[in-house]
Amino acid sequence: MSVVDTLAEREDMISPGISACIGCNVELTLRTVMKVLGPNTILAIPPGCMGGVGVVGWNKRSGSKVPVFFPLLDNTASMLAGIRLAYDAKGRDANVVAFAGDGATVDAGFQALSGVAERGDRIIYICYDNEGYMNTGYQRSSSTSKGSWTSTTPVSKEGRGGKRQNGKDFPMIMAMHDIPYVATASPAYIPDLVRKVEEAMKVKEGLAYIHVYNPCPTGWGIKPEESIMVSRLAVKTRFFPLYEARNRKFRITVPVPKPLPVRDFTSRIKKFSHLNEEEIADLGKLAEERYLFLEGACARSSADA
Amino acid sequence: MSENEKDYAGPVGEGLYSVNTGDWRTQFPNLDQQLCIRCGNCLIYCPTNSVRRVDGRFEIDLSFCKGCAICAEECPKDAITMKKEGKR
Amino acid sequence: MNEIAVMNGNFAAATAARLARPEVIAAYPITPQTPVVEYLTQFAAEGTLDSQMTEVESEHSAMSILSGASMAGARCYTATSSQGLALMYEPYFRASTLRLPIVMNIVNREMISPQSVWGGPQDSLTLRDAGWIQIYVEDNQEILDTTIQAFRIAEDPRVLLPVNVCYDGFYLSHMTERVELPTQKQVDGFLPPYEAKHQILDPRKPMAIDPLTNGYLVMEYRKKHMAAQAAALGVLAEVDRDYTALTGRSWKGAIDEYRMDDAEYAVVTLGSVTGACREMVDAKRAAGVRMGLVKIRCLRPFPRAAIAAALSKVKGFGVIDRNVSFGWNHGIIYQEVKAALYGSGCSLPSISFIGGLGGEDLTLDLVSQAFDAIVASVDAGKTVDEAVWLWSPRKGVK
Repeated sequence: MSVVDTLAEREDMISPGISACIGCNVELTLRTVMKVLGPNTILAIPPGCMGGVGVVGWNKRSGSKVPVFFPLLDNTASMLAGIRLAYDAKGRDANVVAFAGDGATVDAGFQALSGVAERGDRIIYICYDNEGYMNTGYQRSSSTSKGSWTSTTPVSKEGRGGKRQNGKDFPMIMAMHDIPYVATASPAYIPDLVRKVEEAMKVKEGLAYIHVYNPCPTGWGIKPEESIMVSRLAVKTRFFPLYEARNRKFRITVPVPKPLPVRDFTSRIKKFSHLNEEEIADLGKLAEERYLFLEGACARSSADA
Repeated sequence: MSENEKDYAGPVGEGLYSVNTGDWRTQFPNLDQQLCIRCGNCLIYCPTNSVRRVDGRFEIDLSFCKGCAICAEECPKDAITMKKEGKR
Repeated sequence: MNEIAVMNGNFAAATAARLARPEVIAAYPITPQTPVVEYLTQFAAEGTLDSQMTEVESEHSAMSILSGASMAGARCYTATSSQGLALMYEPYFRASTLRLPIVMNIVNREMISPQSVWGGPQDSLTLRDAGWIQIYVEDNQEILDTTIQAFRIAEDPRVLLPVNVCYDGFYLSHMTERVELPTQKQVDGFLPPYEAKHQILDPRKPMAIDPLTNGYLVMEYRKKHMAAQAAALGVLAEVDRDYTALTGRSWKGAIDEYRMDDAEYAVVTLGSVTGACREMVDAKRAAGVRMGLVKIRCLRPFPRAAIAAALSKVKGFGVIDRNVSFGWNHGIIYQEVKAALYGSGCSLPSISFIGGLGGEDLTLDLVSQAFDAIVASVDAGKTVDEAVWLWSPRKGVK
C-alpha cells in the first residue's frame, strides 16, 4: 500500500472544519498522523494552535473523532503517562499520543517530557515546532531560531533586534535520553513522516518522540501557498535535517549531500528579513555544525552496528 | 440545554464541532483532469483533507477548502489553477 | 477480632492506600511524607500491593499522571506535603474542577519561608478553596479509617470530587500508635471497584474532555461542583455509618463534639492538637470549669449548620489555629467558624489563638493558658480583637 493509498483511504479522524490558518502545515501534519494512528487512539492537545483552532472542541462538542483532551501547557507527557498506566492496570491497549507545539514541549512541558523519557513510559509524543507561541500572537520559545522577529523579540525600525539566542536542538536533546525512538520530520516529506509514525507505533519499551518542523505562514511571514515549499527548503539547506535514532543509534533518512545555501530558505520568510549577510551566514554555519555532528553520530552508529 | 444533551458533571464534549471553513476562501482550485498524472501530491499536501480519490481520479471537495493554493503550488504538472471566488 | 498493629501515621496512610486497591499511584518524596512512598514501594516489592506505581520527577507530574489515569477511569492515590502541594497546585485545582475522584493524603507541613520542614496545616488550609473535599484527622487510627472512607466518598456518584485526608507532619506521621486493621475482605466489601460513568477517555466511547468553554457553561459546571460539595456532607455521614457497621468505630462525621452537652465554654480545634485539648478539657472539668471541645473534621464542605448548632450551646469559644490568615491577622479556622455563626442568631464572645507554627509544640501548658483566656474573656463578655499568640517568645521579642 503506497502512502497515497494510505492517505486516500484512511479516515480523517479530525473535524473537517477547524480554524487553522490558510496554508497551515500543522493542520496537514495533524490530519496525516491521525490517519496513520487510526481510531484506537487517545489524543492530548495542550494549549496552543491546535487547541485554539478547535481540535478539542468547543463547549459541548468535540473537534475529533477519537477521545481527546486538553492537558495543561506544562504536563502533556505526564498526563499521557497516567493514561498509559491506567490502561495497563485494566489490561487494555491504545495509542496514547501527544500532538503538542514547541511551547508546550521545549519550554513549559520539558520537565514532564524528560521524566517520561527517563522512566520509559510508553507514549507517542509528536511536537509541531513552529518556533514560537503562535496561537497567542507569535511570542518566542526556546526553539525559536536566532535572529527571528517574534512579538517578544521585536525588531526596530532600523532593523536591530530579533531573538538573541540560538534555538535548542531539541530532537537531539531527546535523543540523548537514549529513548527507543526519536525522529525528525517535515510536512514537505509526507512519506517519510508517515513511515516514522508507523515506526513510533511499533515501540513497546518506552517513549517514541517525533519532532516536526512546521514553518508558520502567519507567524513567520510566508505566503500560504509556499507553506510546503519553504518546509522543503528547511530540509534542503540542512537547516532542519531529517533523521531517526533508536537508543542513540542514528540514521539520516533524507540525506542532503549538496545543501542549498541557507539564504534560499531565509529569503522566503519575513521574520528573517532584517538580518544582514553575516547573521544569515551564522544561521547557515549553525546548521552545518549540527548536520556534521549528526553525520558523526551516524558514522559511529554504523561503526557499532 | 438541548433535548439530546446529556447532563455531565464535568466539562465533556460529544458530537463533532466544525467551522464552515469553505466560507473563508477568496480563490478556489480548479483541477484540469487532462493534465493530471494522478501522482497524488494534491491529496497528500492538502491541509484540510479536501482532495478525494474516486475510482483512481482525484477530485477536490470544496466544502471545507480554504483556498490556500498549496495544491496548485505542489502539482508537478501545473494541472491545478486558482480561480477567484465570487458570485458564480 | 481484627489485627492490632503498632504503626506510625505514614504507615497507617500507606496501609489504607494498599487496602483500597488503587489502580495507579504516582508519588514524589517530600519530608515528612517520604515514608509513605517508601512503604508503598515496599508493599509492591513484597507483592501485597497490586497497583501501577511510578516514581515521578516532581509533584506537578504526580498530580498530572493521576489526572490522566483518573480520566482514563482508574482509581488513584497519592500523598504529599507543603512545597509539593504548592508545586502541584496547577493540576490540583483542575482535579476537582474536572471531577476526578482522586484520594490524596496531605502530611501537613509548614509552608516555606522561613525554611521549616515541620508540621502544621498551613499548606492544605491555604488551598481550601481549590474545590477538593478536605478532612483533618487526629490520630493514626483515624488516618487509616478516613483514608479508606475517602475513596467511597470521592467515587460516590453524588460527589465525584477528589478528597484530601490531612494529618499533622511529625506529630502523627512519625509517631507510633496502636492501630486496628480491617481485613482486605472487609475493605473490598466496603469499597467496590471504581467505574467512571461521568466521563472517560476510551476509544470505544470517544468524547472530548474539557473543550474550550464559554462563560455561561463555566457557570453551570461551577454550580454543579458546589452542589456536589453540599451533597458530600450527607455522603460523609452515610459512609461513616457504614464504616461503623463494619468496624465498630465512628469518627462522628463532619464534626466531633466532646463534653459539649452541658458546656459553658468551648474550644474549636483541627488536627492533632485535638488530643492535647481533650486532656485539658478533662483537667478543667475536674477543676469545675465546664469546658467542651468541638473538633472540625470536615473543612470542605464546611459544616456550617453543625458548627452553629454545637456552639449555640456555649456562652463563648476560642479557636486554636496552627496556621495564620495573613491580612485577617487571625487564624484561618477562626475566620471560618465566625462566618458559619453569622446569621445563625449566635453572637458569641470569641478569641482567635495562633500557636504551634513551624512545628513548635502546643504544650498542655499553652493549651491551659488558652482555655483560661477563653473563660476570662467569655465571663467578661468580650470578643478579643487581636489574635492571642500561644508561645514562649524569646527574650525581648513581643
